[in-house]
Amino acid sequence: MDQKQTSKEILLRMVKSFTENEVAPFDMEIDHTRSYVNDLLNKIKKYDFLSTMLPEEYGGAGFDGETTAAVINEIAKGNASLGVTLEGHFKSIDQIVKYGNQALKDEYLPQAKSRIIAFSMTEPSGGSNPLGITSHAEKKGDKWIINGDKIMITNGGLAEIYCVMVKTAPKELSFFVVDNNMEGFEYGKQENFLGLTGVPVGEIVMNNIEVDENHLLGKVGMGKEIGDSAHNDARVLMGAVLTGIMEHELDIVTDYATHRKAMDTPIIQMQGIQRKVADIAVAKETTKLLYQKATWLKDHGQDYEEEAAMAKAYGSRSAVKSGDDALQILGGYGYSLDYPVEHLIRDARAMEIAEGTVEKMRTAIALIEARNRA
Amino acid sequence: MKIVVCIKQVPETTNVKIDEKTKNIDRRGLGGVINSYDLHALKTALEIKQAVGGEVITLTMGPDDFAVSLRETLALGADSSVLLSDRAFAGADTLATGYVLGKAIKKIADVDLVILGQQSVDADTGQVGPIMAELLQVPQVTYANEVTVKNDHLVIKRNLDNVAQEITAQLPLLLTVTDTINQPEYTNVVEIAKSFAKTITTWHASDLQLDDDRVGQAGSPTIVRSISSPEKTVKVGHKLADNPVDAAKELVTALKKQNILAEDD
Amino acid sequence: MAVINENWVFVETDLQKINPVTYQLLTKMKQISHDPVVAVLIEKSDASLETELAEYGPDKILLIKDDELVDGDDLELTDALNKLIQKQGTPNTFIFPATVVGRSVAPRLQAWLRTGLTADCLDLKFEGDLLIQTKPSYGDNIMCEITIPNNHPQMATARPNVFAAEKQTNSNLKVEEIENLDWEKDSKLVIKSQLLPPKTTDDITQAERIVALGRGDKTDAGITVANNLAKKLHATVGVTRPLTDLDQYTVNEQIGQSGQTVAPDLLVNLGVSGAVQYTAGIANAKVVVSVNTDEHAQIFKYSDYYFVGNALEFSRALEAIL
Repeated sequence: MDQKQTSKEILLRMVKSFTENEVAPFDMEIDHTRSYVNDLLNKIKKYDFLSTMLPEEYGGAGFDGETTAAVINEIAKGNASLGVTLEGHFKSIDQIVKYGNQALKDEYLPQAKSRIIAFSMTEPSGGSNPLGITSHAEKKGDKWIINGDKIMITNGGLAEIYCVMVKTAPKELSFFVVDNNMEGFEYGKQENFLGLTGVPVGEIVMNNIEVDENHLLGKVGMGKEIGDSAHNDARVLMGAVLTGIMEHELDIVTDYATHRKAMDTPIIQMQGIQRKVADIAVAKETTKLLYQKATWLKDHGQDYEEEAAMAKAYGSRSAVKSGDDALQILGGYGYSLDYPVEHLIRDARAMEIAEGTVEKMRTAIALIEARNRA
Repeated sequence: MKIVVCIKQVPETTNVKIDEKTKNIDRRGLGGVINSYDLHALKTALEIKQAVGGEVITLTMGPDDFAVSLRETLALGADSSVLLSDRAFAGADTLATGYVLGKAIKKIADVDLVILGQQSVDADTGQVGPIMAELLQVPQVTYANEVTVKNDHLVIKRNLDNVAQEITAQLPLLLTVTDTINQPEYTNVVEIAKSFAKTITTWHASDLQLDDDRVGQAGSPTIVRSISSPEKTVKVGHKLADNPVDAAKELVTALKKQNILAEDD
Repeated sequence: MAVINENWVFVETDLQKINPVTYQLLTKMKQISHDPVVAVLIEKSDASLETELAEYGPDKILLIKDDELVDGDDLELTDALNKLIQKQGTPNTFIFPATVVGRSVAPRLQAWLRTGLTADCLDLKFEGDLLIQTKPSYGDNIMCEITIPNNHPQMATARPNVFAAEKQTNSNLKVEEIENLDWEKDSKLVIKSQLLPPKTTDDITQAERIVALGRGDKTDAGITVANNLAKKLHATVGVTRPLTDLDQYTVNEQIGQSGQTVAPDLLVNLGVSGAVQYTAGIANAKVVVSVNTDEHAQIFKYSDYYFVGNALEFSRALEAIL
């Protein structure tokens, strides 16, 4: 085995053990308390999970996209929220690596080891329509002055560094990196979402935040491109989270159906149950293959927009449906708040919306299919 | 202090079944991991090193791909590793394994302390440590729950069935540890890459000056005649007497006979 | 060295008391062996544990009275046993308890004798002089039949509480005192021993004894009686899901799929019906005792002993004789 393979195996051994011992046993408690109990955030930092895909020259472990997604998949099997918290951080690092100038990279990437970075586009006035936003940056001398209000940020309130999309002209979108220790930075209200309740989702308010030119991510006017790029990276990792959710669902239903008996026969022997279990397994494996193909393309420098959209669109719908099937198999236990199935449905449901709705994914897929044949 | 930690790579789960066709253990799709008790042994060694200085060497016997587990110990903080790999070692039982590991300890030379987990989770024997100790003619303390270093000796706590022991031990010593002795760390994500700067040395049979008849299958007195899945223990419930007082007496007598209750309970 | 037609059992003594596992091994070996069963006893010079030992019917007791060896470390015990074999001849088999002591001394002796040793046996039987040893692996998920065809003694450690101990008289018992064993002293270890207090724990997953309370006993009286019984048994109290409604019980005390998985030596179920979500959590309990008023209660299918009737009356009766 070469160094790359060996490293990957050691990493995944560790993540599996970490998930089994530190994450999975707390899944229900994380959901119910809406927080990362068991000191999970500190443990995640202590063992350098935040540096998984951070390039080595910035003190990271430098794992590729495929391995990083496998880590998220494994963690999400224990708790989907924690998978999404890491996804939000990783996609932000991805954009700074891809678009940041050297000074920005030198300043922020080494900090990514211990400070979570978030990525923010949505505002009260617009989500999927970026030109509807009102946040803006104005150039004053060699500084930029940023004002505005960003909401529904994944890890908002938890993250300490934010990549924010603002207008630099009426029809010009640009990204800046702001820091919670800057003057004029304030945290706003936290959302009270239905699922993925461990992930803080919140607001930041920017009042005359003054940043240097090197805090501009990419160039002026590159907002749409950077936003799309972040979406793609996020969608791949969401495919991994969704795979983890379906693996969790499969664990629950197979265990239950093997032990639960009707007329002295385990219900796994019954065709109606078998169909549902098989459907969940097929959907899980399909989603896994989709995200793995997307990461392969990404790692080999090829375009992965369509596969990323497929992984998220197919995976989110499938995980919700699979959760519903799992609930039905478990009957009353499935419907109980004391059992995990219902929260897996709520968790999966979030990803039919976040990082572009499933409808928007279909639009993207259809247009790519048409473009490829034009 | 020069410490050698012996580790074993085992299947990631002990929940294995027998393949109906081959009558062998079905290990398809099962990855390997470091035997969980050995991680406690490694942590014990690293803590001793932190307290008094020295070096920690990890040692295993197995095929070349067990090097992954050694690399993992390096990422966890061991200083170097030795892999004992040779076709001649195949089919070894605990005696032949202990023999080869013991020879390797001698070759490493000047070892003050050898630490192992109390047993492996696949074979479940716990025999290799004492076998090595006997072959090396050093004292042993097995099933240690607590170890502290005092000057040139160790103070070790362990429990027998209903006896607690505190043992003061001089070096050299062979120690096996339980899983309550400490809480092993997880591998740090960033340390994995750094571990490649450390060395894993491979020794073959020819490097160790072995008696051929004490190695591998030839050196293994035990023979596995057959393996099987345990019969599902269907509990045949015994109905106790109808009168509660008689039932209680009947139960206590039965439980004492099985040692579930002690005589003085 | 000549093999003698004897099967030896090592007598484990902890602080001058015979560990009851010895009696189990003696009983089992008496049942299966056609050759004399010999107990190897090391005791203090003023002790007479051989009287107790004799009640379990060994054919011979090899008695070593030695005030130092009684507290010997593994190196010393190994040397003494090795010298004993040199003196007496190599027995056909030599069985040790799979306790900390047995599992530490037996492999050292094995290494010295260069013979085979099978760990933690759950069953033993003979085919002629060949000992067939059934050993669990992979955390009891696999059973292996192991033999040691070409070496002697055939050694095994056998798991405690698998074989039942039965008293029997043996009028042919010979007690042979061994003197001048001349074992080598080791001064590298200094061992201080003391008796462990009975183990009780609040952590139900670690508890060795559990009294579990079900919906059928969810009354103040039921809870009080269960607690009293638990106290007497040095047991931890567990509950089924319905009882977690009460302030004093949480998921930490709850046994079952949505609670904790337990593995006690003894589980006493009071008023537990035995729903699948509960029984999923008790699969690793060793001895299960259940009390329920319903003679068709599911829990009886998972029980070694069951009492049909009132749990309060049964618990009080049990508490009274403990």
